[in-house]
Amino acid sequence: MKFEDETQNLRVRMAVIHGLVVAILLVLGVRLYFLQVVRGDYYAERAENQRIRRLKIPAPRGAIFDRHGKLLVDSRSTYNIIVAAEDMRGKDWNVLIEPLSTGLDLDPGLLRERLDEAKRQPAFEEVTVKEGATPADIAWVEAHTLELPMLIVREQPQRRYPDNGTLAHVLGYVGEIGPEQLKQPRFKDPAVNPFVKDHPYRQGDIIGQEGLESTYDRYLRGRDGYREVEVDSRGRIQRELSVVPPQPGQDIVTTIDLEMQLAAEQYLRNTPSKRGVIVAIDPNNGEILTLASYPTFDPNLFSQRIGTPEGRREARALMRDPLTPLFNRAIRGRYPPGSTWKIPMAMAGLEQGAITPKNSNVACGGGITIGNKFTRCMGSHGSPDVRNAIRVSCDGYFYRLGLKMELEGIMKMVDDYDLNKRTGVDLPHELVSWTPSREFKARFNPRDPAWRDIDTVYASFGQVYDFVTPLAMLKTVAGIGTGGRFYTPHLLKEARAVAGVGPFPERPARGFDRPDPKVVPFREENHRLVMEGMWQVVNAGGTGGRIKLDGFDIAGKTGTAQVVSLGKDVGKNKDHAWFVSVAPAAKPEVAAIALIENVGFGGTWAAPAVRSVYDVFVAKTHPELAPKPEPTTGRTEAID
Amino acid sequence: MVAILEKRKLRDFDWLLTLLALAIALFGTWMIYHAQPDAGYWKKQFIGLGVSAVVMLAVAFTDYRKLVHIAPAFYAFGLFLLVIVLIPGIGLKINGQRAWIGVPGIGQFQPSEFVKIPTVLMLARYFGRRPASALSLRETLVGAGILALPVGLILLEPDAGQAITYLPLLAVVLFLSSVRMWMVLAALVLSVALVPAAWVVGVKTGKIKGYQQERVNVILDPENADRRGFGYHTWQSILTVGKGGLWGSETSGDASQSKLKFLPEPHTDFIFAVAAENTGFVGCVLLLLAYAVLLTKLIHGARRAPDRTGMLVIMAIVGGLAFQIFINVGMALGMLPVIGVPLPLMSAGLSAILSTSVAIGFAISIRLRRFVN
Repeated sequence: MKFEDETQNLRVRMAVIHGLVVAILLVLGVRLYFLQVVRGDYYAERAENQRIRRLKIPAPRGAIFDRHGKLLVDSRSTYNIIVAAEDMRGKDWNVLIEPLSTGLDLDPGLLRERLDEAKRQPAFEEVTVKEGATPADIAWVEAHTLELPMLIVREQPQRRYPDNGTLAHVLGYVGEIGPEQLKQPRFKDPAVNPFVKDHPYRQGDIIGQEGLESTYDRYLRGRDGYREVEVDSRGRIQRELSVVPPQPGQDIVTTIDLEMQLAAEQYLRNTPSKRGVIVAIDPNNGEILTLASYPTFDPNLFSQRIGTPEGRREARALMRDPLTPLFNRAIRGRYPPGSTWKIPMAMAGLEQGAITPKNSNVACGGGITIGNKFTRCMGSHGSPDVRNAIRVSCDGYFYRLGLKMELEGIMKMVDDYDLNKRTGVDLPHELVSWTPSREFKARFNPRDPAWRDIDTVYASFGQVYDFVTPLAMLKTVAGIGTGGRFYTPHLLKEARAVAGVGPFPERPARGFDRPDPKVVPFREENHRLVMEGMWQVVNAGGTGGRIKLDGFDIAGKTGTAQVVSLGKDVGKNKDHAWFVSVAPAAKPEVAAIALIENVGFGGTWAAPAVRSVYDVFVAKTHPELAPKPEPTTGRTEAID
Repeated sequence: MVAILEKRKLRDFDWLLTLLALAIALFGTWMIYHAQPDAGYWKKQFIGLGVSAVVMLAVAFTDYRKLVHIAPAFYAFGLFLLVIVLIPGIGLKINGQRAWIGVPGIGQFQPSEFVKIPTVLMLARYFGRRPASALSLRETLVGAGILALPVGLILLEPDAGQAITYLPLLAVVLFLSSVRMWMVLAALVLSVALVPAAWVVGVKTGKIKGYQQERVNVILDPENADRRGFGYHTWQSILTVGKGGLWGSETSGDASQSKLKFLPEPHTDFIFAVAAENTGFVGCVLLLLAYAVLLTKLIHGARRAPDRTGMLVIMAIVGGLAFQIFINVGMALGMLPVIGVPLPLMSAGLSAILSTSVAIGFAISIRLRRFVN
């Protein structure tokens, strides 16, 4: 070089710079190697993951019908308007309140409440600001995407239940699966629920929470499909890569007859207490034609409104309501059966030989004295046979019959006729009736735990030690009515088949899984005697005489269950009214039970309930018995 | 003022350098097309290339000494441009930086890119004439002053990225002007110690803002840093580069990171990542190799320069280019925080291409006259 000099060692310095330059490029090359060759696949996968999204296509849930194909429950598409939290990073939520409340017709106070509540959740991703958006709302959102890019319109299937709380307890409702539920074996363990193996339950899934929606969730659920799409960095869909179509769930046909059900609900609404149960079944197969429990509730609250603060308030109010509208009284209400208990007592008494067809007379005595305790009969009936005892509901007769049968006999009756078990109905949360036993008394009355004769007397007339669910009572009496065939009451008639779709195989049709009855062989002469007694209750001057129906012989038994002691049974403490029945007596086609809380006599209140349901039944199945239409008086020819 | 072309000069013309620069620039244009197929960037770049080639040749065939002689005029004019760009009516604000002057008919240009050349010439002019002795403090301060004026103005725009690309110019010139070695070592040791210390202090006192912290955090720990905030750019760049694998990604057509808008600024700041995605490790290594050869050729030319001034001009240019490559590629690979510095010859941008071409033209001009006294 021309300009070098000794003091500088310029050559060296230039070499240093040259070396630095090469070193820099080498370092970059090494890093490149690391990123592209060593970790290349890893980064490629991450890039892929952010580029490809799987969007679920929700499968339609099966619909629910009555036995004649009338639609009870279906799903419909609704649209929700949502604000994504990510799009609001660093922005003030309050600026949304004014435009949203005017544009979407929302109450600003409620909107603010929702936003505040959502923000309190630790990892909230989005807030629903409006459910059930109208087409006008959707148009408004689309028109304002520039100023309000954080708004999303999302389609959501929503379950629709009948109005007025009809069949609420039967159908149940759907809701989001809770974190506790996800841990339960039913939702986790393939051994318990084989459905879980291919289609696990995930957070956010909507499942049946009550009623048939819950019991048959695995039939009603469809199989979700998905779209695989490519998105850009804003999440906007660029193109679709593949689609797997969803398979709809299986429709369920219930055994319910909607007309009978509506008649039952109408009757309950018109009772003074508006609390009670009416159940009707086909005693020849256990199919439930009607199951009404009042007070009722609106399941649409849970399927449609529960996401809103207002909805949650409504739900909390329901749960705190002292009249317990969410209770299905048919399977969770345990009431003293009163005189309806006499029917199984009579049947068992004959079968066990405590009384015989030739000699079934037992004294009434106006009551019975055990020790120093006198227990009354409501009347003075002399010494009736079993038919008359049933007809007039003679307590004294059954006190003495119970003593003849002894506790063991009563317990055998309870066990034979399955009164001490759940009926096995296909609804969740069924309770077991309380039936007489030494353990029961010991628990009930610890100061005097030994079983005495007076206790047997009490156990015989449907009070004190007897608390039955209406459905259990009906199952028992229906079984007696058919001469010893006790069917499991059930609501499923058929889960309809669904064809295979894409990767999802065909789902075959299914019926109820326990169609066979428990058979208790009754002697025909004993059976006939009890049936005659029940016939006389309605048709020969018995306690149920006001509902006599010509051409369709109703057989049954009234019951009036004391809630408090005589003299105080007024107002809220009036007796519960019962009526249990099969009809026609000779060859039963239908059986029904009614329990009306706190209204008084069974014959006055519960029997007409059953009659109202039978009327509808008869009109449909025996049209020849329907009342003839009035002849018209006007002329039909044209006037000239 | 163009010297007469003589036959031997054509032999001395540095063909390899020119071809390398052209190849890199064309590769860059191709990558710009991949980065933004639908916008007109690649077309503009192509045209800019043509113009730059002409300018480069014009400079190459000019006697550089004459240009160095009038460098102060260029320098003063450059400072003037840097002043008026700050005036709101004249200077255009893009991305928060008022660094552009609009020229009707042509587009817009960035004075801070161009003023590098006069600055280099001024430094070379001043330090090229000095006697051979150890660097004095006064000389150092003059050098710093020559730098401080444009850098100060650029910081007012504010364009910190551009400002720091001026530093290596001074550093190289001082280094090659006999700055005492122990001072260099002391400066190195100090900076290695001070930079992390300054960082910690800055974070604790809150002087380093949140977004700046995020940018650094994403380098230190890319997996766990907030990748949706300010760490986004770096993370996406790492993904884009890594995705390229050995030979380039198969999905670099329709589904590339830039096409789907995951990679930001793909045609400028992150052009290297685009190249990495499309051509993979092999392509990038070849690119780095091309840069290496280019810079080496420049250094060879500096060694054969007829005078100190010429040598300093080339070496300063080498320093500037190497530094920019380091910053830009280091940022694209997630080794350095995001600093907006273009990749020479590759990034889309007329001003950068032109100023680099002028610089290379100077290098060629100096080499052409190596036998001239």
